[in-house]
Amino acid sequence: MRKKINGIVVLALMVTAGCSSRSAVTSTEGSDKVTSPKVSSQSTEAPSTASQSLPASPTGYGFDQWQTGPLGDVFFDFDSTVLASAAQAQLKQNSAWLENNSAARALIEGHCDSRGTSEYNMALGERRASTAKEYLVKLGVASSRLETVSFGEERPFDTGKGENAWAKNRRAHFVIK
Amino acid sequence: MMMSAHNNKSCFGMQFFRYVVAAVMIFLCFPLPLLAAEGGEYIAIRKEGSGTIILALNKLDAPVKEESRLAQSLDTIIHDGLDFTGLFTMISPPLNVKNSSNRDNVVLNFGALDSVGAAVYAGGTVTNTSGTISLDMEVYDTAGAKLLLKKTYHGKPQQLRTIGYAFCADLVELLTGKKSIFGSKIVFVSNKTGFKEIYECDFDGRELRQLTNSHSISLTPALSPDGRYLAYTDFSSGHPALSIRNLSDGKTFAVSKSGISIDPAWRNSSEVATTLSFEGDQEIYLIKTNGVISRRLTNSKGIDLSPAFSPDGNKMAFVSERNGQPQIFIQDMLSGQVSRLTFSGRYNTQPSWSPGGDKIAYSTWENGSEINIFTIGVDGSGLTQLTENSGENESPSWSPDGRMIVFTSNRQGLKKLYIMESTGQKQRALLQIDGEQMQPFWSLFRQQ
Repeated sequence: MRKKINGIVVLALMVTAGCSSRSAVTSTEGSDKVTSPKVSSQSTEAPSTASQSLPASPTGYGFDQWQTGPLGDVFFDFDSTVLASAAQAQLKQNSAWLENNSAARALIEGHCDSRGTSEYNMALGERRASTAKEYLVKLGVASSRLETVSFGEERPFDTGKGENAWAKNRRAHFVIK
Repeated sequence: MMMSAHNNKSCFGMQFFRYVVAAVMIFLCFPLPLLAAEGGEYIAIRKEGSGTIILALNKLDAPVKEESRLAQSLDTIIHDGLDFTGLFTMISPPLNVKNSSNRDNVVLNFGALDSVGAAVYAGGTVTNTSGTISLDMEVYDTAGAKLLLKKTYHGKPQQLRTIGYAFCADLVELLTGKKSIFGSKIVFVSNKTGFKEIYECDFDGRELRQLTNSHSISLTPALSPDGRYLAYTDFSSGHPALSIRNLSDGKTFAVSKSGISIDPAWRNSSEVATTLSFEGDQEIYLIKTNGVISRRLTNSKGIDLSPAFSPDGNKMAFVSERNGQPQIFIQDMLSGQVSRLTFSGRYNTQPSWSPGGDKIAYSTWENGSEINIFTIGVDGSGLTQLTENSGENESPSWSPDGRMIVFTSNRQGLKKLYIMESTGQKQRALLQIDGEQMQPFWSLFRQQ
């Protein structure tokens, strides 16, 4: 499983705007999120094998949708559900996209880093997703278009240890339905 | 009794049926009842907290030579079973323990037993009559030269462990006056297939079986006290939902509320409590085994989760972050009154109420990357740290006799299941299987 996730992470790293959470949350408002993939040391592993080892995904959940959609992830501080200014900026961007794509619905997944205990993190993950949803609703997105779910610490973006990995995992992730 | 690993959900009915058949077979075959009165007397004279019981465990006799291998196997099973409990110091009886070579007229040399310090003597005979094993056991209090137990256990040759453990269970209950761990089950989560599924094993880590095959995320299994139901959190719908499975017919009720469900716990065998968020905030609700919500238990903004009930069901321990950080609280089920239990540590979660009703085990996440297991009296006294300097130790769950705790630890890298005495002593790995194992739950339920 760990190997598979590493593979997925490598794949995700290749196709997204670098691996840093900062790059995702500080991109300028309204700009397209197409950026060139940053080559990291991890990418020396062959990413082509990653897709073959993807496990069948549970309904409504796409392993291949890490950070690749038009709706950017929102990141949180440790044990926090507070939307920092970068997070608010990202949500404004997401709301603009949702306004322009009025048929689209989104699933907001709340995720946590692996620290602490998993039951608590399941609760924390839901609060992150709900906080993101409430903010979008305040910006005018119809509540009925937004669904939330928590994966707690069950689906980390980066399975590594240390703040670099943890910061990427403390997020609300958007999946377009 | 050997159960093969099934992935098929329909095997639940068959499994339960087998348990019942095995249990009935063993019960029906007992010609002699427990000599309970003597047992009670023995417990009365034994000093409280006087440490282990010194048991002279004799090798089993096999009147027929061909059965000596059976006797040796049973010797090992009984020895290891009793050793697992941590209750006994086992010694070999002195050579002159039997002062007669006439099998029909054996007289035990209690003087010799007493002189080697044995408090209790156990010995017996194994026979195999056309495929039915009979284990005749006798247990004596050596000080009073008094017969405490005389009982015959029957079973098939492939049920040796069940036969041996049935004796171990009787012996422990006789000497301690409490339910034993024999026949109890541990359910837990493992990702060995690449998905988090729920598994079950015997209390000693044997008889591993896979209970779910959802190819999704299954979490926090909890068996009802009567062993009839399994409650767990199931992601197969894409959302974490409460699943309640009747183990006798395999029927599963899902609580299909919007929002999420986290960490169910049984209140007696008739109701499950779990966190639900369909009303917006995360609160703990009571749910019947048919999936119908009976009532809401908490009413506080923020996270409320991980209920754990006192054995009588009158009180509920749970985790709440109502004061800012997760701490353990106790709520009276009748009055609804809530009091905070834990004040030491800034992140206390995963309460487990002891079967004796007097203690709660929980985990504290310390600064850095350590998580440690503590026990505390339900009145807040007697805080005791059970693990230290061994990585993340989580998810404590009490054995049915309250003497042991099963938990998760990553002390050797991956998360694996460990057991220890409820004092923290004798920490050791429970089972070695691939992948990670976590969220163990020790049943109250006895198979026979």
